[in-house]
Amino acid sequence: MERQQQFWNPYVAGVALGLVLCATFLIMGNGLGASGAANRFAVAALQVFAPHHVAQNNKMATLKADRPSLLDNWLVFEVLGVILGGGVAAYTAGRMRPGVSKGPRISVPLRLVFALSGGVLMGIAARLARGCTSGQALSGGAVLSVGSWVFMFAVFGGGYALAYFVRRQWT
Amino acid sequence: MSFPITSLIAEHRELGLVVAVLLGFGFGFTLERAGFGQARKLAAQFYFTDMTVFKVMFTSIVTAMLGVLLFSGVGLAELKVVGQSVASATYLWPMLAGGLLLGAGFIISGYCPGTGLVAAASGNLDGVVAIAGVLIGSLGFAEIAELWPAFSTFYLSGDKGQWFLYELLGVPAPVLGLAITAMALAMFIGAEKVEQIMARKGEGEDTAEVSPTARGARRLAFGALAGTAVLTLGTLALPSHPKAAVTKTVATVDQQAFAQRLLDEPWSVRILDLRAEKACKERRIPGSECTPRETVGKLGLAYTAGVKDLVLVDEGKRREVPQAVLQYPGKVMMLEGGFPGWKRYALTPPKAPGPDASAAKREAYQFRAALHAAMLGAKPPAPPPGGTKRYVPKPKKKKGGGCG
Repeated sequence: MERQQQFWNPYVAGVALGLVLCATFLIMGNGLGASGAANRFAVAALQVFAPHHVAQNNKMATLKADRPSLLDNWLVFEVLGVILGGGVAAYTAGRMRPGVSKGPRISVPLRLVFALSGGVLMGIAARLARGCTSGQALSGGAVLSVGSWVFMFAVFGGGYALAYFVRRQWT
Repeated sequence: MSFPITSLIAEHRELGLVVAVLLGFGFGFTLERAGFGQARKLAAQFYFTDMTVFKVMFTSIVTAMLGVLLFSGVGLAELKVVGQSVASATYLWPMLAGGLLLGAGFIISGYCPGTGLVAAASGNLDGVVAIAGVLIGSLGFAEIAELWPAFSTFYLSGDKGQWFLYELLGVPAPVLGLAITAMALAMFIGAEKVEQIMARKGEGEDTAEVSPTARGARRLAFGALAGTAVLTLGTLALPSHPKAAVTKTVATVDQQAFAQRLLDEPWSVRILDLRAEKACKERRIPGSECTPRETVGKLGLAYTAGVKDLVLVDEGKRREVPQAVLQYPGKVMMLEGGFPGWKRYALTPPKAPGPDASAAKREAYQFRAALHAAMLGAKPPAPPPGGTKRYVPKPKKKKGGGCG
């Protein structure tokens, strides 16, 4: 087995990430995001099975309105890039392999249940806050939006408050 | 040249989407290399054993912030314009609650939506499952909002509009930038101390830089951030950049072209009715805003992204265009003949052409008849003799909402 490359120094990674973010601001007048595109994928998928239901739901219908296709959107393309970039980075560092990231004290199925339920919470939270850690905390935070900073501290607050109760997952 | 490059959103949209993939690639690549594709490393942040999440996140926020401040300082971009186009409006309470909930979801699932994507892309099954959860959750949100009116009310509570820290604190943005940079550097050193303490207790490992290259990289990053912050502060001393003399030409748009646009793509225009408030309130073009001449300055047009085309509607006398309108970054057009022209064109029934009228005339008639019907809500008249294709206006679409 090829040896894995080490992770980048966090400050170097931070500067690189910041430069990408800044380029996104200046070139596109947009921030980086993840949950917005996820929302679009979800509604687009639902539309295949229950178009009537999508048309009747206020939140989903307004999302549809601006362009004929839900997926014809900046964020969707950006997220495709994220998946591609993450994959290439993992592959070239020798970290591309199927697995589950967890601590030794928890079983794989239970860990997946946790991952799913946490994901559901985040899906709701990201819509409520108009963005997730990428779109709201990172992008909005860097342009000094008040709401984004409130959100960012709340994320850390929520994480630390609950960390003790789910420690068996990780340690 | 000035940033952002608006043509990538408007006429070169396809190119903009290619750029989107490239920028996303950079985002995903750096997230993975920072170690954010592994839930255990991310979760360690919340047990104080590995503060990488905090370090990477704040370094990138500070870097991007300083970049925008520097570009604004030398006049290549406008801080507030960039901010307004990037950030959503501040809704205090839902953002606070959403943050707490997302933090909870983060520690339970081990990922946030962005890092979950990277984890999924590098083969982690828990990342795939977490993203599936996010998809389900966002649909769940739309359902909850539909079924529970109080939740929808809460979603819109604490609306502060677009609100920035430098406005809240009332300090020049570069000064705030320097303060945030200093604070971040101090907190990084604090975070390293915490890691050392935890390592001594036998939990986690000491990530205090051991190799000389790592120590050098850290010093370089810290130095670059501090240096840029000071440089940004220095731009305050530059002579302020007078806004380029306004040389904007205001085009005239004729009634037919405008009506066509109003029916086909109402979202691409913003219509300002410059007439007196009373006249405008009485009858106006659908979708237009009543903004009497003297109040236009309050709209802050200079600070909008300028993606839509601005159409001005006046009394038809072609009075001078208000200065505030000329500062609008996008295209500005004057409706030919103003509102009286619109009244003549769209609100009076057109005369049917004779049976021997040319095809062009018939078509123009059909369009006007359809427009007239659409504006007054009446049934369209029967097509003229020899009519070919009837113009059916597309249903008006609601303007897009929601969050990016």
